[in-house]
Amino acid sequence: MTLISTRPAPGAARPYRFPQVVRRGVAGGQLVAAHLPGQSLAVALLLLDAGAGREPQGREGLGAVLAKALEEGTAQRDATAYALAIEALGTELVAGLDWDSFQVSVQVPVDRLPAAVELLAEAVRTPRLEPDDVRRVRDDEATAQRMDWANPGPRADAALRADLFGAENRWGRPLYGDPETVAALEVEDVRIFHSEWFLRPGTLIVVGDLERLDLDALAATAFAGAGGGAADRGGPVEVTPRQGRKIILVDRPGSVQSTLRLGHPSPHRAHPDHVPMRLAGTVLGGAFTSRLNHLIREVRGYTYGIRGDFVSSRRFGRFAVSSGVQTAVTAPALVEAVGEITRTQQTGVTEAELAVARSWLAGQLSVELQTPRAIATALTTLVVHDLPDDYHARLRAALLAAEVDEVSAAAAAHLHPEELTLVVEGDAALIRAELAATDLGEVITSTR
Amino acid sequence: MPDSGFPWPIETTRLDNGLRVVVSEDRTAPAVAVNLWYDIGSRHEPEGQTGFAHLFEHLMFEGSTNVAKTEHMKLVQGCGGSLNATTNPDRTNYFETVPAEHLELTLWLEADRMGGLVPALTQETLDNQRDVVKNERRQRYENVPYGDAWLRLLPLLYPPGHPYHHATIGSMADLNAADLPAFQAFHAAYYAPNNAVLTVVGDTSADEVFALAEKYFGAIPPRAEIPAAPDGQHVSGAGVATTETVVTEVPAPRVYVAHRTHPFGTAGYDVTSVLATVLGSGRGSRLYQRLVDGERIAQPDLVGAYGVDLAYAPAPLIVTATARPGVAAKRLAAGLGEVVDELATVPVTAAELDRAKALLSTAWWRQMSTVEGRADTLGRYATQFGDPRRAAERLPAWLAVTADQIAAVAAEVLAPADRVTLTYLPEENS
Repeated sequence: MTLISTRPAPGAARPYRFPQVVRRGVAGGQLVAAHLPGQSLAVALLLLDAGAGREPQGREGLGAVLAKALEEGTAQRDATAYALAIEALGTELVAGLDWDSFQVSVQVPVDRLPAAVELLAEAVRTPRLEPDDVRRVRDDEATAQRMDWANPGPRADAALRADLFGAENRWGRPLYGDPETVAALEVEDVRIFHSEWFLRPGTLIVVGDLERLDLDALAATAFAGAGGGAADRGGPVEVTPRQGRKIILVDRPGSVQSTLRLGHPSPHRAHPDHVPMRLAGTVLGGAFTSRLNHLIREVRGYTYGIRGDFVSSRRFGRFAVSSGVQTAVTAPALVEAVGEITRTQQTGVTEAELAVARSWLAGQLSVELQTPRAIATALTTLVVHDLPDDYHARLRAALLAAEVDEVSAAAAAHLHPEELTLVVEGDAALIRAELAATDLGEVITSTR
Repeated sequence: MPDSGFPWPIETTRLDNGLRVVVSEDRTAPAVAVNLWYDIGSRHEPEGQTGFAHLFEHLMFEGSTNVAKTEHMKLVQGCGGSLNATTNPDRTNYFETVPAEHLELTLWLEADRMGGLVPALTQETLDNQRDVVKNERRQRYENVPYGDAWLRLLPLLYPPGHPYHHATIGSMADLNAADLPAFQAFHAAYYAPNNAVLTVVGDTSADEVFALAEKYFGAIPPRAEIPAAPDGQHVSGAGVATTETVVTEVPAPRVYVAHRTHPFGTAGYDVTSVLATVLGSGRGSRLYQRLVDGERIAQPDLVGAYGVDLAYAPAPLIVTATARPGVAAKRLAAGLGEVVDELATVPVTAAELDRAKALLSTAWWRQMSTVEGRADTLGRYATQFGDPRRAAERLPAWLAVTADQIAAVAAEVLAPADRVTLTYLPEENS
């Protein structure tokens, strides 16, 4: 048999073209659109400044409950009629939030977009929010969270976040709250949050074949009846510097794996080191061939997968590593993961590793931006982070131009292996002694 | 109603060694998707070798004659590509989406592991990936509430000896017993060009792909006889209602109702797909309207019904609901069974049918909106039905389904006497 032994060289590179961006003010709100000629599906997404960061202290989960309550009937029709109307268009209302924004969207064949946007606006601007319905949705959401919190992961995530940012701060508590905070929400909390943040126009994002769409008409529908201006969004939060490393043990009796969440705070999204930090994170824990996945999965076989990254929002950020490892190897996996973070902080990255990270992240911009949904997500990034139309092209160029020195410098400056919080969710009876013997840090038992 | 669910060009050829090549040109984005369907799934695994097809999929990323260990991932991600592979009862697929200028690299990598995996396969690699797969089993099936539902449903639906009786992840015992010669033999038996379909979709042309396929795959010899999987069309033991109750650490009672329907690709399964959407997709579905909004006995985010698209035996329809606090499993199971039973007795309305078809249309076009989604679809139809062009038939077939057909299929395959019911109950003290 003759297999060809020489690896082929790449062909001529195709130019990178982000779709042309249209931005204009319409009917008191902002419209941002991108043209995808010939695409049979279109997406409309209403972006509101009502992310989890807007939830009052102690009211975590408010946005998540409101997201579900929007579909419990509107001024025009009850919940069942609403469900039938929107599903008859072939879509469902997708509502969700992150730290910086609340997003409601529909995806439909392009000729159905006007009707879908009407229904979207109806739910966002004129939900009934009947007290009985809101209470039921709240109870259901609390139950759903209890279901979710029975899985490995949420308790460890919450323990890490609380230790990183302080449970006295909104950003030190879970993005969607927890079963207890959700259960404690009142009808008035939901109605006030809606009236405060869901009646401002916001930004309408439209992606699809724009030759078949009347953008101004879509925007007028989305912004009808809305009013009020933008609110101050606040600057980066101050995070108290860490002191030393510690292990937080979250007991999960009978667990056949230990869930690992290792992390520390890192800079917010607009930090000038954003690109080199992302590249350093990719070398350490982002790509399949990253240092962590190579050692912990491919060499040791301790796990199905391990990843680490820097993630940032407008006001804060964090570096974190997550994995699930076989119970018997919890301590060695933890020691080796910390070892790789330390090595990366101390000695930086190599050109060979950076070459993979750089072209992977740059290439993904070409590969991923095919669908209306993906382009809509890219446009929300522009809006939320005040970025220019050509941001993605610039980002691609910056990724490709990043050099070993600056990425190593970002690793040195923004990784803090001595100040890591190491959360381990597993069978404490089996792993506590071994964890204590690692000398990685004091072992604290979480009360969660 | 659209005439076609696939309005893009499709060109095909077959190399002398039997490799089928499918190309669909689309210059919209500067990317190409490369997809290989190998006609080898867990249905081919004999007793004592469960999990082999899937463990083998892992080994395919660990190097081959001209590709060093770990290099496969590094080269694809290093050119900006995404890649993965999956194994199910029917088949194993391998896929990459890369910036278009790296098409040739991707084909070289795929050819090298099709033709040259065995010389690079070592005991160390096997041991390592066996550990990874065992951790995958722990993470996905053993360490999560209800995680083993699929592992329990399959043997209830299909008797011992049936190709769908065991789950693709395999048993820990069989994985432990797997030795190197068995995997070398596995590759020789199934990883042959005449047991595969290569599909390329995106920023390229059929001429370019055909020439590159010949260049890289042309010299790989075919295998004379590919071992067939056991026939699964007839399922013995059907006609007997089966129930299983599991008391374990779960946060709430949950019920699964499952039935054997029709094989994927048949008219009966098209009806089943629409039926499942009427029954369990979205807030307008019967399950949601009856059990969540009406009786309020089920949790809203956890009701659903879906067919599992398996092509070589009557495919499963899985219906599930999880109890609201204070609701007994028995009541939930009764409610669930009633809604399923009514598919045969309470006619589906025009509005229900239109809603289901609209949702299915959007789902179809969403799958078609990416080059990788299209490539996998074409590979499936070429492998399972001998012609990728038949992919275009699916959407029109769904849209032609009538309420009478749904009632007829429901009466035929959803009878209580033919039902599998799996119930999870929380431990008393949990």
